[in-house]
Amino acid sequence: MNAAQKQSATQSQKLMIFVLSMSLYGLATLFTELIPKFQLGLVELSVEYFLFIPLTLAILFDPLSAALGAATGELVFSEIMLGQFGGLGELEKFLTVTIGVYIAGRMVRDPSNRAMVGLAAITGTAAQLAMGTLVDIAKVQFAVEDFEAVAGLPESVFATEGFAFLNDLLFSGILFCLLPTLYLVPRLYGKIEPLLGMAPRTAASAVAGLSPKALVVCALGFVCAVLAELAATAGMSLIDWEAEWAESGTALALGMVTAAAVAVAALLVAKKNSERNVTR
Amino acid sequence: MQKRMNKLSENLLDKFSMEFLRSQVLKNAYGNDDTVIAALDPRILIVWYLFFGLVPWFVDALPFLLGCFLLVMVTTLLARVAGLVLFLFGVGVFSQTGYLFLATLLFGGDASAIAPLLVLTLKVATISLASVTVFSGLDPDRLSNGLMWFGCPERLSFSISYAYRMLPMLMEEFQNVLLSYRLRGNPPAHETFMGKVRYLIYQIRIIMESFYPLMLNTAKRSRTTVEALELRGYRYAAANKSVKKIKLAALKVSYNDLLFLAVSFLWVAVSILFCALL
Repeated sequence: MNAAQKQSATQSQKLMIFVLSMSLYGLATLFTELIPKFQLGLVELSVEYFLFIPLTLAILFDPLSAALGAATGELVFSEIMLGQFGGLGELEKFLTVTIGVYIAGRMVRDPSNRAMVGLAAITGTAAQLAMGTLVDIAKVQFAVEDFEAVAGLPESVFATEGFAFLNDLLFSGILFCLLPTLYLVPRLYGKIEPLLGMAPRTAASAVAGLSPKALVVCALGFVCAVLAELAATAGMSLIDWEAEWAESGTALALGMVTAAAVAVAALLVAKKNSERNVTR
Repeated sequence: MQKRMNKLSENLLDKFSMEFLRSQVLKNAYGNDDTVIAALDPRILIVWYLFFGLVPWFVDALPFLLGCFLLVMVTTLLARVAGLVLFLFGVGVFSQTGYLFLATLLFGGDASAIAPLLVLTLKVATISLASVTVFSGLDPDRLSNGLMWFGCPERLSFSISYAYRMLPMLMEEFQNVLLSYRLRGNPPAHETFMGKVRYLIYQIRIIMESFYPLMLNTAKRSRTTVEALELRGYRYAAANKSVKKIKLAALKVSYNDLLFLAVSFLWVAVSILFCALL
């Protein structure tokens, strides 16, 4: 095997990593979607982040494929299969998960270095959670009309979101991301790679290392996520639906109703006709 | 009374067993092929979803939102969605807006907070029900074909088909691994409170640990999958236009589809009329 082959995965190996990360993380998020959350007083003990699965895979394999696979798996298994697809808003989750896992995967140069693995796992989780929190605050601020006018709402949003972030990072982050990653990476290192037909990642391989370019791409991705979320929640200025109706008033609405009624009637007649033709 | 409570909690636990979850998910995916919604053309449904998934966010008129909500409720009933999904929908809507209301009260807000939050709830509910209709009502293969027609990346439609095929197997395997860990393990006594906490930690640890064999098994399986795909030239077929054409030739728009669109349009127009009149 020559050096070039060792350094980066081939296309089909990338597809393997994608499929692996997708099915495992998808399965895990499906459970989190189904399992009710434990509430211990104020502290919510949710099994929300099975993020250790893509983190482990991103540290062991090609980070980008693992990150994309995890985000797709979450989208497909827990959103689309359970019919919880939230439209444009899902783009935010997709991008934040991808970025968080990708950053963690790129940070680790040598998977056998435990300290580095732990640091990467907690950084990736924190990045994903922080992005999610920022987007959530922006979202509620735009979605509820006259946000400032409602007494007590702004403070409550900041407080609940900030608390949720800390809670998630300290409980879910440590319990469900850091510890399992630290447990799994050393055990899987050198064992799981041959199953996919590749050499284990070492300090010399080219995948590792967080370059400025990768960081810029991640930042751009985050901006996209925020824009998508805001477009999904606060497009009122983009498209002025309300003004249009208010001005044109009853006449236009009446016209629309008539047009729709005529369309329904015409389609019913056409359907009857076509059915008669078939039977004849 | 105590006995009855025990029985009730036992019943609830029974309901939430692995088998139940699996059957509900499977039912959701494959159980309702014969509904009105499942027979519609996926492309039409996706367009329909784009309207009901986006427009309610931008509108604040109450009659319009109510009208949309009623319509998507009817379509959800028509799609005969599995009970678990509807339950999750309820929990999801509450956790999005209900807890915000409680927090507002906590920080000295009063009942005036209800009105904007009610609008927000209505929006969230409409959008989620629309997605429940489309994504649980449709057969996964039809859904992925529809997405592909709109030029979604081939990876996504592949993932959807793959997920629906593989999920039952993966769940079974996960269950088997988990059961074998339980058989070999020795759970701590859980009569006292501390014991209960220890028991919970024990359970979580087992779930985490069972991902180790599961990861290795899945790695093997995904290699087999990808090799089988490569043998059939998957990566070239995914990029090839004529393959796509053959695959999508089965999609057809019928009168039923147009009728569905027209009726939805009529309903929305009526609700807009109400907005204008009020």
